[in-house]
Amino acid sequence: MGDRNGTSDGYRVLSLMLAGPALYGGIGWLLDAWLHTSWLLLVGVMVGLGLSTYLVISRYGRTV
Amino acid sequence: MPGLTGLFIPLEWDVCTHTEGGEEGLIIGVGSFCARPLFPGLGPEFYWINNQLFQAVLGAVLVIGFWLWVSYSHKLVPGKRQYFGELAYNFVRDGIARDMLGHDFRKFVPYLVALFSFLLVNNLFGQFFLFMFPTFSKIGYAWGLAGLTFLLYNGVGIYKHGLLKYLKNNTMPAGVPWWMLPLVMPLEFLSNFIIRPITLALRLFANLFGGHLVVLVFVVGGTMLLTWTEGPLNGKPEWLLHTAGGVALVFSLAIFALELFVSVMQAYIFTVLTAQYVASALADEH
Repeated sequence: MGDRNGTSDGYRVLSLMLAGPALYGGIGWLLDAWLHTSWLLLVGVMVGLGLSTYLVISRYGRTV
Repeated sequence: MPGLTGLFIPLEWDVCTHTEGGEEGLIIGVGSFCARPLFPGLGPEFYWINNQLFQAVLGAVLVIGFWLWVSYSHKLVPGKRQYFGELAYNFVRDGIARDMLGHDFRKFVPYLVALFSFLLVNNLFGQFFLFMFPTFSKIGYAWGLAGLTFLLYNGVGIYKHGLLKYLKNNTMPAGVPWWMLPLVMPLEFLSNFIIRPITLALRLFANLFGGHLVVLVFVVGGTMLLTWTEGPLNGKPEWLLHTAGGVALVFSLAIFALELFVSVMQAYIFTVLTAQYVASALADEH
C-alpha cells in the first residue's frame, strides 16, 4: 500500500470499533432474550469493545 | 412490515405518502425531502419519474458532458479548456488514486474520477438555484453508490486473490495469536464487509441530509418570521420577529458557505474511502 492516509485509517478504526460492540452486544442481546437474563448484553458490549480495542492496537499501535 | 422497510429505506414512503398534498414547503421536516413526481398527470405508475431522479440523471449527463468537452482534440500545448480538465483529472489521479492505491492505481482512475465528479455535481445541486436539493440526501441514492463501491472492492479482491485467500486476508489479521482468531474473525468480517459499506453510505447521506435541513430551518424559518402574522406568531411583538427573521436569513448565507464546504468534502471523502477499500482489498496482508 502507498502512503498511510490519516482520514481513511481513522474511518477504518471507527468501523472496527463499531463492529465489536455491535456483534458481541448483539449476541449478548440474543442470549438475553433466550435465557431471560438482562446482563449478557452488557457483558457482550464490553467484550466486543475490548476485542475491537485489541484489534485496533495490534494493527495501528505499532506503526505510529 | 412498513416500519421495517422504513428502517432500511427511510424517508422513501412512510412520511411521503402521508404528507402528499399537504402544505409543502412551509413545514420543515423529513417531509421536505419528499420527491415530487414530474408528470403527476400520468398516474401513480409514473410517480417514480420524480425531480430527484431527474437531478441524478442530469448530474450524470453534466459529468459525461464535462469530461467529453475537456478531453476532445488534445494538444501538446494545452489551451485553457484542456488545462482545466487536466487540473481536475490530476487532482483525483494524483491526490486520491495514486496516494491510496500505489503502483497499480491506473485501472481505477476512470471510476474514481467519475465517482468524484458525479458526487460533487449532485452535492452542489443542494446549493444552486433550480435544484436546491442535494440528491444524496435521499438515502436510496447513497445506498446505490455504496453498493457499487462494495461490488468494486470485493470484485477486485476476489479477482486478484481468489475467494478463499481474499476472505482469509480480510478476516485473519496478522499478528493475532491463534486462540484469539475465533473471537476476532467474525468481528473483522462484520467490520470489513458490512459496517464499512454501510457507514460509507450513511456518512454521505447524513451529512447532506443534516446540512439541507439546517439550510431549510434558517431560510424557511427566517422567511416565516418575516412574513407570517397569523397562527402561532399572532400577537408577538413585530419588531422582534422581524429582527430574528432578518438575522436568520443573513446567517443562512454562512450556513450555505458551510454546506458548500461539506458538499465538496463529502464527495472527496467518499472517493478517498472507495480508493482505500480497493487498496485494502488488493493488499497482500494487513
